[in-house]
Amino acid sequence: MFHYTIKRLLGIIPTLFIVSIFIFMFVHMIPGDPARLVAGPDASYKDVELVRQELGLDQPKVKQYFVYLGKILQGDLGTSMKTKRPVFDEIADRFMPTFWLTIWSMVWAIVFGLLIGVISATKRNKWQDYTGMFGAVSGISLPSFWLGLMLIQLFSVKLGWFPTGGIESWKSYILPSVTLGAGVAAVIARFTRSSLMDILREDYIRTGRAKGLKENVVVWNHALKNAMIPVITMTGLQFGFLLGGSIVVETVFSWPGLGRLLIDSVSFRDYPVIQAEMLLFALEFILINLIVDVLYGMMNPQIRYK
Amino acid sequence: MSNRLLEISNLKTYFFVDNQQIPAVNGVDLFINEGETLGIVGESGCGKSVTSLSIMGLLGHTPGKVVDGSIRFKDSDLLTLPEDKMRKIRGNEIAMIFQEPMTSLNPVYKIGQQIGEAVRLHLKYDKKKTREHVINMLKLVGIPRAEEIIDEFPHQLSGGMRQRVMIAMAMSCNPTLLIADEPTTALDVTIQAQILEIMKKVKQEKGTAMMLITHDLGVVAEMCDRIVVMYAGKVVEEADVFELFENPKHPYTKGLLNSVPKLGLKSERLTSIPGNVPTPANMPKGCKFAPRCIEVMEICKTEDPELSQISNGHQCRCFLYEDEFVKEAK
Repeated sequence: MFHYTIKRLLGIIPTLFIVSIFIFMFVHMIPGDPARLVAGPDASYKDVELVRQELGLDQPKVKQYFVYLGKILQGDLGTSMKTKRPVFDEIADRFMPTFWLTIWSMVWAIVFGLLIGVISATKRNKWQDYTGMFGAVSGISLPSFWLGLMLIQLFSVKLGWFPTGGIESWKSYILPSVTLGAGVAAVIARFTRSSLMDILREDYIRTGRAKGLKENVVVWNHALKNAMIPVITMTGLQFGFLLGGSIVVETVFSWPGLGRLLIDSVSFRDYPVIQAEMLLFALEFILINLIVDVLYGMMNPQIRYK
Repeated sequence: MSNRLLEISNLKTYFFVDNQQIPAVNGVDLFINEGETLGIVGESGCGKSVTSLSIMGLLGHTPGKVVDGSIRFKDSDLLTLPEDKMRKIRGNEIAMIFQEPMTSLNPVYKIGQQIGEAVRLHLKYDKKKTREHVINMLKLVGIPRAEEIIDEFPHQLSGGMRQRVMIAMAMSCNPTLLIADEPTTALDVTIQAQILEIMKKVKQEKGTAMMLITHDLGVVAEMCDRIVVMYAGKVVEEADVFELFENPKHPYTKGLLNSVPKLGLKSERLTSIPGNVPTPANMPKGCKFAPRCIEVMEICKTEDPELSQISNGHQCRCFLYEDEFVKEAK
């Protein structure tokens, strides 16, 4: 397992290299002139050209890419065109709010998703199942901006329990993380339910019962560990998506996270920031995939990596 | 007469599917004495496995339900026993081996964990003692390298090895009754013989009574003291193993015995019982076997015969022997 992990970690380097090419290409295909945006709408043609030279945008694209790559390798992500601050600092400031929001959301999602999934599977076609699955379908279907606004309306405006947005205290995390987590919880619940229902029909479950085990032990130890294998993959993917920052939820809750940074930098054509953010998302996904694969091996002894 | 360990009377287990009730077991009477091996023989779908699941109380997760009868085990009626008491019997007093060794072990737990679980639950052994006990059990069922196998996962073992593990698991809490539901059906012939040998040995060593469910008459002849033949959810014949093989009475039993290929007999094709087991939705009115019976009479088509005694320990459900039935003066 250790060697496998090292091998996979080394494999990240070429992947990121290829990803960086694609990111560079896509970003430069966005229509709009960043030099004009930096110089301002009133600047003369000459001033705009000067800015263009200063930013290196007059160079051939291939050269621009290698300059960009060279800087990344030295740990220099460039300077934001908008704020003139190092991109690294820009992202670092925004990363932690998004990271903690993701963690909170995933905690809700996993706890409630698993619970609802297990109850639905074991009480199949009873009222518990119908209630759980009604909740899950709602969780998937409700648009997060609407859910977010409704929660703000009820808990912030009417009841005044939680702030409407921004980060003030731990209370600030509750509403946005519930909004983000609801959809994920719903997906986890449905996956857990169907996976667990399949597993509960397996012969080894009957063996467990024939041993005289309590039904709870059969479900939570014997069945759930097997049922978790597909659920883990899906949860990992969702985790990756959330880490990228949710543009909608961060906007609704005025959250100073990566999602809002992305939307701001795209509208400003802030190339260095967009590129760095996308590279970060790619890295996050690769790492999460690795973690999922390692967890897989721990859950399923039939997949032991060499 | 030796002591009754298990006595089933008038057991009826129905399956409820799509608003239909399907009588899988329809009034079964049988008993097992302490230390005895009872064979239950019959074609697929005759209610053998459902009978065993009814004894174990494992129907709760199927559409099946016991609707009538009683199952006495030692001093208690298993059908009315509360679930927590029943759990203390399952895996402890009555253990079970299933047909499918490949899928009957949990793929994510080690062999030792799976056997040890029952040991710790019922015998309340500590970790160290459990491990020793599990290794001894694995050795008892003839598993080589028991000290290593205990830490391996099921997928690392062959089918025969897994069935040995299942036997070790079933025997680990010294049950008084072992139910083996087609324990060798899924295995190669050579492995079958080994598994039967092991079951025989373990049984002799521990003095366990056994209920062996099979459709293989060879297995029955090898292993059993007494045989119950089932057809369409009912017992049609019951006798001592020698008596049944030498002097079969019921036309179905005769058919079964005739359909076993015999060495040295030059016959162009195998004898078989014509027709199929009737589907529960399509049960004939009189004797359930009448449509397939070569000795069928008029009465068989309208009336269902009773299970009656022919001679000491030999019972048969057939009108052919009306005159021979021992009239029990009660």
